[in-house]
Amino acid sequence: MEHNVTFLGYIPILPLIGAAVLGLLHVGTCTRKPIHEKIYGVFACIGPLLSFVLALRVFFTLKGMPEEARYLTQEAFTWFQVGDLNISMGFLADPLSSLMLLFVTLIGSLIHIYSIGYMSGDKNFGKFFAYLNLFLGSMLVLVLGDSPVVMFVGWEGVGLCSYLLISFYCEDTDNVLAGNKAFIVNRIGDLGFVLGMGFLFWAIGAQGFDFMSLKANAHVLAPGVALTVCLLLFVGATGKSAQIPLYVWLPDAMAGPTPVSALIHAATMVTAGVYMVARFSFIYAHVPLAGEIVAWVGILTALLAAIFGMFQDDIKKVLAYSTVSQLGYMFAGVGVAAYSAGIFHVFTHAFFKALLFLGAGAVIYAMHHEQNIWKMGGLKKKMPKTYITMLIGALALAGCPPFAGFFSKDEILFSALATGHYGIWIVGVLVAGMTAYYTFRMIFVVFHGEPRDQEAYDHAHEAPAVMTVPLIILAVGALCAGFLNLPAIFGGHQQVSHWLAPSLTEHHPHASLFVEIIAIGASVLAFVIGIRAAYKRFGAGAEEPQFQGFAKFAYHKFYVDELYDAVFVQPYKRIGDAIRKTIEPSVTDGPVTLAAKVYMIAGAAFKVFQVGYVRVYALYMIIGLSVMSLLLSQSLN
Amino acid sequence: MFADGLFILFTVFAVVGAAGLVLFKHPMNGAMSFVVTLIALAGLYALLNAKLIFAIQLIVYAGAIMSLIIFIIMFLNIQEEDLPAEEGRFKYLIGGVIVVAPVGMLLTKAVNSLPGSEATIAGAGFGGVKEVGVKLFTEWLLPFEIVSILLLVSLVGAVVLAGKRGTNK
Amino acid sequence: MIQSYLTVSVILFCLGIVGVISRRNVFTVFMSIELMLNAANLSFVALARLHESMDGHVLALMVMAVAAAEAALALAVVILLHKHKGKLDTNVFSLLKG
Repeated sequence: MEHNVTFLGYIPILPLIGAAVLGLLHVGTCTRKPIHEKIYGVFACIGPLLSFVLALRVFFTLKGMPEEARYLTQEAFTWFQVGDLNISMGFLADPLSSLMLLFVTLIGSLIHIYSIGYMSGDKNFGKFFAYLNLFLGSMLVLVLGDSPVVMFVGWEGVGLCSYLLISFYCEDTDNVLAGNKAFIVNRIGDLGFVLGMGFLFWAIGAQGFDFMSLKANAHVLAPGVALTVCLLLFVGATGKSAQIPLYVWLPDAMAGPTPVSALIHAATMVTAGVYMVARFSFIYAHVPLAGEIVAWVGILTALLAAIFGMFQDDIKKVLAYSTVSQLGYMFAGVGVAAYSAGIFHVFTHAFFKALLFLGAGAVIYAMHHEQNIWKMGGLKKKMPKTYITMLIGALALAGCPPFAGFFSKDEILFSALATGHYGIWIVGVLVAGMTAYYTFRMIFVVFHGEPRDQEAYDHAHEAPAVMTVPLIILAVGALCAGFLNLPAIFGGHQQVSHWLAPSLTEHHPHASLFVEIIAIGASVLAFVIGIRAAYKRFGAGAEEPQFQGFAKFAYHKFYVDELYDAVFVQPYKRIGDAIRKTIEPSVTDGPVTLAAKVYMIAGAAFKVFQVGYVRVYALYMIIGLSVMSLLLSQSLN
Repeated sequence: MFADGLFILFTVFAVVGAAGLVLFKHPMNGAMSFVVTLIALAGLYALLNAKLIFAIQLIVYAGAIMSLIIFIIMFLNIQEEDLPAEEGRFKYLIGGVIVVAPVGMLLTKAVNSLPGSEATIAGAGFGGVKEVGVKLFTEWLLPFEIVSILLLVSLVGAVVLAGKRGTNK
Repeated sequence: MIQSYLTVSVILFCLGIVGVISRRNVFTVFMSIELMLNAANLSFVALARLHESMDGHVLALMVMAVAAAEAALALAVVILLHKHKGKLDTNVFSLLKG
């Protein structure tokens, strides 16, 4: 079988070309009459759709290969070579990246189409799509990169696009600050990633620094080094995937347009951390302690975010915290070495969370950019399509069988239970109940009951087809994606896990039927309790509550932002201030001004010779000539 | 020998003329004494069998260029008070001679260290118009053309520089 | 015998240098430069005679052409100078003074 192909590179390049074209079109016309939005829309959707087609081709090519040798590579060019470090701009498609490719390009394309409707009328329409295409291209580089370095290029690219798109409405200072926050917090994580890469290269990079060589050499890693590498890489993952302690940027990132929240901050970019951990599963699998830490950080993040999510009143913030919470689940999954379960949750989550965000976007669009759920209500009648699709998404998120989220979440919890992580399992089940509660709190408040703002309600209307069609497609995905990995207890074959198996280093836990039934039963029970609590509280219409005590504490997100500000930001600022006032004038500026003064004095001394008369300059020349002549006369005899 | 006598005569004229150029205060006097040098040099060229150069030295240098210089000097109608004062002129000149002396000594030394050669009888055509012309238009064609462009450029430049009217009057 | 010619050339050249660095009159300076060119010409011709090759003659011709071009330009500059400053003193131009 031929493993070297030439079409892999086109997958990221097509959206990048689209980004360049759109960007140039926008820059070229932004001062004049803007070109028609349809032109932008068509250009914007070509790249992602073609990439999706190519991703399908990759998938079917891989499917046609024998299971143990399913990979495709392309080495575009040698990027740089320093000593042992030989980095080529190479792409690698194996089952893991092909799965990521499929849903990234599919959901990316759908969200591009949806955005044509959502963003219509915006004066930076072209810029938005240029960024969105750039994001998709970077994300595909991240997914396809065949070495940590190429992956890091995509990693930084998506970080940049995230920053650009969060502060897309840059007239508002808050949005710009949110973008800055995302970017700076991500830098902390990226430092971890870079250090991790450095350690990895130092340890086993000499024989080749692409994933295949690393995998082959992983067994020679000393346990201490492996643990360090794992933890440093995980720091990178906590930054990108919004885990404790770096999760604070994701809720603020909702300042961006809603399709951005759906694509970047729910479906694709934030799952890059999970993807990265799964990619490095060959190291994590050797270090159980690292996995333990990852799993606990993940599940605690899930718990914390779920608590926050129960008390938010901004529809996008609710979804943002649910995203953080679900990401926590994914990390719990990969932490207990159930990599395929984690990736499968990434896959299903992409569908239902993109669906929820796009539905929320449709609601926001209908309510003229009102995001407070306490100003909505009774929208069920006005927006039936949005309601039904969002209901499907909510059921999937809450983990109602047989929707997608149920299977993937259950797989994670089952793995935790089967591998003996009882603490993680208990917290996970608890969070599952809370998830059901806050999801249906949102659904009930927004769509049921009586309208709270009659005027806005009267103006509300169903979104145009260009927005509802992607919703319906995603709803189908949210409904059916779970069946792809149907566990044996329901008569399935776990196709996704088998598909991913060659890319991952994992051992499927074998557990008794009893354990499996306990896991499923607990999940269903948690779901039922959560949804029932939500129905009791909000089912028949409720007024905006006044938070007291713990609720108030949670409403203010445990004051974590304020804590970070007081502990890190302010002291840092003060240290900087102190350095600027004391050290800089004397220590740093001293030598500089001294050097300048030396040159001034020397200049003043030499100025004497610059009399300005041409003949004097000639005289200098002749004097030089004379001196040379005197010296030469000595030797010429 | 007759040729040696001529050589000494021309040499004396050339050096005296050059010294006059450097010493005279008024440029007109200097120019006249420089003409003497140029004519004496033409004589030296003749002694060296350089017939074409001899003619050109007389026609172009002593004729054209010097008459142009003298024309400009007269055109500007230089009076005694227009000239720079140059009070310590001789002091400067002596200083200049002292500075230049080592250069001259080195060059003289270098010249004298050349392999001595007795005068040979030059070929009949040596330095003739035809012979130099053939050389000029075969081996030296490209430099010749470049020089022609240089002359054109300087012509245009001179017109532009001197031809400005009413700029500062 | 060629040495005598070359010695004359050296003397003329040195006198030219002295003229350039010691005098302030523009015309004298200019003619001193011409004197140096002539000294060079004399050595070209003398060495051509020594080697019995006429390349030196051609080179002397080139020098003369350059001298003519230089004369045209330099005199134009002198006229401008006189127009602007009314003086023939090279010390008038000291814009390079530090």
